[in-house]
Amino acid sequence: MARQWGMVIDLDRCTGCEACVVACHAENNIATVGEDQAARGRAMHWIRVERYWEGNFPNARVIYRPVLCQQCGDAPCEAVCPTYASYHNPEGLNAQIYNRCIGTRYCGNACPYNVRFFNFYNPVWDKPLNLQLNPDVSVRSVGIMEKCTFCIQRIKVAEFRAQAEKRPLKDEEFNPACVQSCPPKAMVFGDLDDPASEVSRLAQSNRATRLLEEVGTLPNVIYLRSVS
Amino acid sequence: MAAHSPEQLNQDVLRPLVRTSWRFYLTGGILGSIVLAALAAFIYQVYAGIGVSGLDRPVFWGFYITNFVFWIGISHAGTLISAILRLTDARWRRPVTRCAEAITVFALVIGGMFPIIHLGRPYLFFWLFPYPSERGIWPNFHSPLLWDAFAISTYLTGSSIFLYLPTIPDFALVRDKAKGWRRKFYGFLSLGWTGTPRQWHRLEMAMRIMAVVILPVAVSVHTIVSWDFAMAPVPMWHSTVFGPYFVAGAIFSGIAALIIAMAILRKAFHLEEYLTPFHFDKLGKLLLLMSLVWGYFIVAERLTVWYGNESPEMAVYWSTQQGRFTHLFWFMVFCNLVIPFIILSIKQFRNSITGPVIASTTVVIGMWIERFLIIVPPLERKYLPYSWGTYRPTWVEITITAGTFAAMALLYMIFSKLVPMISVWEMKLGWRQEAESPQLVTSEARLTGAVPSADLPAPEN
Amino acid sequence: MKATYGLYPNPDSAERAMNRLRSRRSALGFEVRDICLAASEPLDEYDLGWREQKTPMPWLAALGGLIGGTSGYLLVSLTQRAYPLPTGNMPIVALWPTGVIVYELTMLGAILTTFISLLISARLPRWRKTVYDPAVSEGKILIGVVNPEEATHADLVKTLLEAGAEQVKEYVSS
Repeated sequence: MARQWGMVIDLDRCTGCEACVVACHAENNIATVGEDQAARGRAMHWIRVERYWEGNFPNARVIYRPVLCQQCGDAPCEAVCPTYASYHNPEGLNAQIYNRCIGTRYCGNACPYNVRFFNFYNPVWDKPLNLQLNPDVSVRSVGIMEKCTFCIQRIKVAEFRAQAEKRPLKDEEFNPACVQSCPPKAMVFGDLDDPASEVSRLAQSNRATRLLEEVGTLPNVIYLRSVS
Repeated sequence: MAAHSPEQLNQDVLRPLVRTSWRFYLTGGILGSIVLAALAAFIYQVYAGIGVSGLDRPVFWGFYITNFVFWIGISHAGTLISAILRLTDARWRRPVTRCAEAITVFALVIGGMFPIIHLGRPYLFFWLFPYPSERGIWPNFHSPLLWDAFAISTYLTGSSIFLYLPTIPDFALVRDKAKGWRRKFYGFLSLGWTGTPRQWHRLEMAMRIMAVVILPVAVSVHTIVSWDFAMAPVPMWHSTVFGPYFVAGAIFSGIAALIIAMAILRKAFHLEEYLTPFHFDKLGKLLLLMSLVWGYFIVAERLTVWYGNESPEMAVYWSTQQGRFTHLFWFMVFCNLVIPFIILSIKQFRNSITGPVIASTTVVIGMWIERFLIIVPPLERKYLPYSWGTYRPTWVEITITAGTFAAMALLYMIFSKLVPMISVWEMKLGWRQEAESPQLVTSEARLTGAVPSADLPAPEN
Repeated sequence: MKATYGLYPNPDSAERAMNRLRSRRSALGFEVRDICLAASEPLDEYDLGWREQKTPMPWLAALGGLIGGTSGYLLVSLTQRAYPLPTGNMPIVALWPTGVIVYELTMLGAILTTFISLLISARLPRWRKTVYDPAVSEGKILIGVVNPEEATHADLVKTLLEAGAEQVKEYVSS
């Protein structure tokens, strides 16, 4: 059964605690690059919490916006990849096939959200951090692109289990690491093609917007925000 | 100007092939060591990871792609200009075409290396080419990088053949004049050419077809290079003006490179009688024209962006007008418009050889900066301000960039020691035709030295 | 193979020699195709055998372009259909990108065909020894007769000299 995985992020709930960032790093074996490299703009956070200020002091208001791969329906990164490393999987995800990547970094330029990350060096984990790597996720080497996968390893496990037990996949059965770890429950994940799911219900909200909608990428991440 | 004859021409053009001064070896040694340094830098980059460059997120392309675009642009010197001059049968082209066509081939080879140098995993570059493999996958023909691979291979094949064909009779000439290993070497290169009517007829026919075919290829190559940028939804990249804008810039920088190469050849090989101020004057006018065309494109691009006033594009626009690229931007305008306009529009400056050479040097510098300003500022200011970034090149990138300039000069030098840099048979043909029909002998031909001065009709007064 | 040839200093004398050889060919006992010529530049304004040349090279180039373009289309469409990857909202075989590849391969086809048809029709490369004299590179024009009749040899030499040959030489290849 074809699905369209999607996510709703309620900006009115987000506290900017960055628990999602930490959870993502732990789940997806994302290397930390160290201070020097991070200062040069090479930090890899598949999800980041952007901070924006509205108004002037003392009437300033801070807005947090977690930005991850928007899993675009019409993704600029996919068409430009010469080796199909960046491609559209049958469940509507922008998958990144690490083995196919030769590192042209064209996808990174084409992505309007800057959510694609490049391994400038081979990743290293200081001991004993190397022992906590997630065995379900491959470790990426130098010279290739990586990005948020919507925790495809969790999706696959849940799908296999449902298939083995000969039952439909339940919406609340699993969540990506960021959604699971969100203390204020600002993030909801699910099948946008299933009209009964919570994501599709929330996506109909009159607070719903999509990021950089004018670029025409048809993102599958929906932000909820009340316009004051 | 001394009178010169076909025998004199043979001597003058073939002399560099057999006699080499210590200056050649010294220059070659210096250039060679710069190339070796660049090679070492590249090996270090492959070994340590591309992190040794200054690239970061979001500026994933920097000096390497700048060099790529720049050198592919320079490659438009030769084939394109030579094909236009051949098709319009411009007589003054004869001493110019060979120098020009050689630039194309070497600039293409150098430019074509950069997409590989900049790869994260350069040892897998062949995955860009379509071939049946155990991976069970073909490349993505939707990607402009694939178009690049096809366009550049076609252009390189075409311009190598375009360079080689009119050289075959000259190789035969060298073969007849040479002894020892050179006789065998040039005999091989000349393919056993003897100059029968059939051979001449077919050769001229082939050149005519090639000139027609190579022109649209040259235009398509730089258009496709521009589409690498224009196809991505990046502010100030995603623009329809990019195709013609890049082609104009390519011809512009190409003519500049040609003028510099011709001036060096003239000096080093004592070709003063063949590459005359007249040629520099003609090419100078062409350079001035392209400078104005280039300026027109800059205005067309900037004005539409400014008037459109879309916030993502304006972020990029202001970073080149009031941000950290302001000085670079106006320096580029100075190099590409102001200097060429002053030097090339005043006859006294244009007619000296120094004038066009100075203008060409600033144009080459300015066009390199132009490529950089096209690539880097938009990536630094891409949409969401939270992920804006900055780019600073490292010594690795600077060394490799310097290495390509040295490699270009070195390849060109070696080529000029192996191949007559002026098309001998075309020169002789021109002299004979003009001597036989004196009405063709214009002031132009007198100035070029296209007619031995002994044969000139008395000036009409 | 043997040949007797004269070296002519300019195209006018070469044309004269060519005309005489042509008109006296039956008396001297050879065919027009036995006349050989080598020059260091094209002489198409003169009646030396350039004018009657015809070649289908432009048409071959067009045909080569057609073949190149067709193979480009087949390469793109067949490989993309053989391994169809979901492309989001975009077509598997898209019109414009295919057009770019077809364009480039059309041109490549035309270029390669031109080069190959040149080599074949100009009979290059030619490693066998043929009638040639290094003096051609000095600007002399070589006109002669391949395998001339022994009986009329003196007459042939005379004909060549009368037309203005600076020198008449014998060519013998082993």
